[in-house]
Amino acid sequence: MNIRLQNIESDFKGFSDLIAVCERIKSCGPDDELVVIFPQWFDANMCVVLGAILHFSSKKKDQISFEWINPETKKIMQKNSFLFFLGFDNSIMLDLNGTTIEYKQFSQGDYRSFSEYVERNFRGHGLPEMSEALLKEFRKSIFEIFENAVTHSETEYIFACGQYFPYKKRLDFSIADLGIGFYRNVTSKTKLDLSPVQAIEWAMGEEKTTKSGPIPGGLGLKLIREFVTLNRGKMQIASDSGFWELSEGSVKTNTFSSKFPGTVVNIEINTADSRSYCLEEEIEAEDIF
Amino acid sequence: MADTVKISVTDVIGSGFCVASGDGQKVYEKIAQAFRANEKVELSFSDITDLTSAFLNAAIGQLYGKFSEEFIRENLSLKDLAKEDRVIMKKVVDRAKSYFKDTEPYRQAVRDVIGGNDA
Repeated sequence: MNIRLQNIESDFKGFSDLIAVCERIKSCGPDDELVVIFPQWFDANMCVVLGAILHFSSKKKDQISFEWINPETKKIMQKNSFLFFLGFDNSIMLDLNGTTIEYKQFSQGDYRSFSEYVERNFRGHGLPEMSEALLKEFRKSIFEIFENAVTHSETEYIFACGQYFPYKKRLDFSIADLGIGFYRNVTSKTKLDLSPVQAIEWAMGEEKTTKSGPIPGGLGLKLIREFVTLNRGKMQIASDSGFWELSEGSVKTNTFSSKFPGTVVNIEINTADSRSYCLEEEIEAEDIF
Repeated sequence: MADTVKISVTDVIGSGFCVASGDGQKVYEKIAQAFRANEKVELSFSDITDLTSAFLNAAIGQLYGKFSEEFIRENLSLKDLAKEDRVIMKKVVDRAKSYFKDTEPYRQAVRDVIGGNDA
């Protein structure tokens, strides 16, 4: 059985097409063979979606093979280690352009490996046009996403990958998990009757958190939202059948016909942004408490 | 209270990555321990590379569940905190005040169970 993908970009259709692959894999029998045929274009950060799906379907991994109609798409997946990591290829191609951000899988709560990964990929690595202030805010955001997955998803593994698009001056970075997702987390803890999209909207609202107990919460995702808005970037969340996107300061939502078995958060930043990310009125340390 | 104890965040967590809630908990415990010993705290953020709300919620936000705003203002000072990091620190503190607002019964219950020098 062939699964011929159309161009995959970081948008509702791209997520939707990859979720459909998940459904095809789930429905295949023990003697079926699946060939995923990659399209002309595949946004490399979307490797996390496919990687998470293949991990979710790992019992059927031996039944799956890949083909490419564009050798450049395969090269990108060799450069970012996606094929090597999944065991589909034994070689890693050197990225002389410095535009790929490696595909990697982390055990839940493995902050040390994730910190090393961030340091390796976001410190003087092919990102010459990014200001120090922007890099700092961006790193803060990806740590917040990782922490959010660790705290809320009950996942076993977390997947990360990114891609720098120098001509567009955009950097996309995605983190996926195979945990309980926004819908199950929010509805079980708040007892609210919400759809998967509404559950994401609830969690992205001001001061909303499913955390309880002695440590406050409810800030991380909102800080990313603020940052992405100021940066004129993009933020997308795909969880269960819900899709939420912040772009150009406005939010759009949509519903997938099937469910992603976890959550993906993608942020796309405008690397040409030279904003300082300090408040106009400086905060004195003694005024904070 | 007379003495001031200096606590270096990077010394407590062993790196400059102030990102994990668990590491924030270690810092919180150091501060709370000093408060219980009637010491003021000067908290240094020297040499940190990354700082998240998750870390600060555990390290600082949590204090507001156990100690009053006045007590914290009087006994905790910050050093070497970059200008842009003061923004997230202020948001965490404001969020903590809001989170624990109207939760005095909860705070009293915490004090009853694990003690505390709420002023």
